[in-house]
Amino acid sequence: MLHRFIRLHHFVLHWRSVFPVELIALFLAMFIFVAPASADMRFQNRSLYMNNAEAGATAQYTVSFSYMSPAAVGSVDLLVCNDPIPYHECVAPTGFDASQVQLSDQRGETGFSILSKSSNHIVLSRLPSVISNGTSAYTFDNVKNPTDTTQAFSIRLRSHASLNATGPQIDFGSVRGEATDSILIETQVPPMLIFCLAQEVESNCTATNDTYYSNMGTLDSESTLVAQSQMAVGTNASGGFAITAMGTPMAAGVNVIDGLSAPTESIPGNNQFGINLVENTAPAVGKNPDGTWANAIAAPDYSVPNKYKYVQGDVVAFSPNVSLMKKFTVSYIVNSSKDLRPGVYTTTMTYIASGRF
Amino acid sequence: MKRFKSIALAAFFILAGVVSVLPAQPVSAADGSASLSIVPKKTYTIEPGKTISDNLTIRNLDAGAPLTLNLRVVDFTFSDDGGTPKLMLAADAPQTTWSMRPFLTLPETITIAPSGTKSVPVGVTIPKSQGAGSYYSAIVYSTGAADGGNVGLSASGVTLIFTSIPGKVNESLDLKKFGAYNLTSQGAGVKAGYVGITTTKPHAIAYTLENKGNVTESPVGTITLKHMFGKEQVISDVNPNKSLALIGQTRTFTACIKLKVEALQVGEGTTQSTECTNPTLWPGRYTVSLDIFYGQNGNNTEEIVKTTAFWYLPWWFVISFIVLLIIVTLLVWRLVNIIRSKFFGGRGSRRPTSYRSSSRRR
Repeated sequence: MLHRFIRLHHFVLHWRSVFPVELIALFLAMFIFVAPASADMRFQNRSLYMNNAEAGATAQYTVSFSYMSPAAVGSVDLLVCNDPIPYHECVAPTGFDASQVQLSDQRGETGFSILSKSSNHIVLSRLPSVISNGTSAYTFDNVKNPTDTTQAFSIRLRSHASLNATGPQIDFGSVRGEATDSILIETQVPPMLIFCLAQEVESNCTATNDTYYSNMGTLDSESTLVAQSQMAVGTNASGGFAITAMGTPMAAGVNVIDGLSAPTESIPGNNQFGINLVENTAPAVGKNPDGTWANAIAAPDYSVPNKYKYVQGDVVAFSPNVSLMKKFTVSYIVNSSKDLRPGVYTTTMTYIASGRF
Repeated sequence: MKRFKSIALAAFFILAGVVSVLPAQPVSAADGSASLSIVPKKTYTIEPGKTISDNLTIRNLDAGAPLTLNLRVVDFTFSDDGGTPKLMLAADAPQTTWSMRPFLTLPETITIAPSGTKSVPVGVTIPKSQGAGSYYSAIVYSTGAADGGNVGLSASGVTLIFTSIPGKVNESLDLKKFGAYNLTSQGAGVKAGYVGITTTKPHAIAYTLENKGNVTESPVGTITLKHMFGKEQVISDVNPNKSLALIGQTRTFTACIKLKVEALQVGEGTTQSTECTNPTLWPGRYTVSLDIFYGQNGNNTEEIVKTTAFWYLPWWFVISFIVLLIIVTLLVWRLVNIIRSKFFGGRGSRRPTSYRSSSRRR
């Protein structure tokens, strides 16, 4: 029994010293020599020109591309799908129709005619011949554009040696198209951005208290002056919204109380002007955003309780996508030092609601 | 006379000095509504030498006060790698190369009755000599400023206007980054950004593209996500919001791993809401493949292909793995001890005497 173990030990030791080098060499040899080189190549200089991109319109399409493989081509397959990736399932674009197309012009590699056509599939065929003109273009009349403008579509292209687009492909690739002008779908609400601003507003913007200013009282180096305003915002636009705060910090003539450039606690006795959009305890001011839409949020720098900031041009609240209505309460704090020059310090805050691109 | 002149001059300078140090007075008033509904974005395709006329619908949501708005066109650019416009509001802001200011016509002021709606006529005229490309500007609607108080409030709304002039354009997108991405909306404590190894389940795959061309770009394509043990998932819409990379912008596009689409009732119609939800991801290594396409009508369709990987290792998995590793190590150690004591009659890790002597003999 012991001898068997000794033999096993020798055997393993031997292979442990041999294995890594031989194995790596074998692997590299396989990688270099055995891995099959793919014969098919991507068409180059691919493009699609639609002479009318209006959704649902009947248009003329010109598909251009350069053949890359110097092989005999007998057919070209054009499959129209939402997804451009050749090996993914093909879902035809809504409203697209190629069943009535005619091949009205061809340049470069010529001699093709339409072998078959359906709502989203065209096969061009000719007597197989070797490619001599790399860049070619094929023009089709009577193509009905997709009606869906919310997504682009693709034409998947493949060339074959056979007459009927069967057998191995030679070259492949996709071109991208997009219907631009939408046909009005009556049940679909057009994009809109709703925004209101006042000292107090209703969440749906149907009412405000019609007061567009706040009195903060008399500046005192021992205490913090506070105020608050509210704004409600919502959009059904897929890109969402952004609210940008504009306006100079509080000033009295040439004397300015600078805005806090980073989220900072309120410290009486220092010259500070800042805002945030959450509920605070030091000092007690403000409310947390109100509404069910979790994707509409206050900007990170303006959502830390008891920390305030104001930099002109900052985005203070945003949503990356649809957010019907959300109410934000803006808290303002002002602190003053003992040596601040007397005066009536004021500012006008302009909140700009915009869509996103 | 000379004395009178010098006294008057002195009085003027004193007065000017006093005025300059006096506190600022509250800005001029604006009575009325600050509740509005606008169109956030408009997109046109216009050939050189042609004009289009459109109407922008603006609603006054306030039932009790009229809404008076001042309209002006400003240029904008990007503020970061997201989709927030940076408006160039200064009166002396230089005109950008992509500006639509010379092409746009619209009224300067409009007033809308309480709860009323108004269509604002907008004209876009493209000169015959204008080259192909993308042009964009913003229409800013401003309410007046408040009267009184320390903090006055003013509301503004913005419509972003994009125009595409067809023809041969310069298109060039460079892929800068690609991988798993944590979103801000995933909750507190999750820092938005790319992740290579993460304990938090990423909700999105992102890719960052630099636009070096003279047109805005909105890529389309597919992302394939593959787990180390083979399970594959395809994200078929890599740009669900049809986001744009502006001219010169390095833009991060995010695609949800699991997209929740919801139809919402708005008034008498519906609108569609999309958001990323918690995807089903098993711990382990994921390979992510990107295949995107871009290209304007009549221009080459360009393709970008890239593959990367990320590890998703939640804390529960890491702890379970360590515990399992300890158990397996203990079991192996125990098994080795049992084998040794059974076959060699020894204890612990000492080699049997007979083996040592046989080794020496060799």
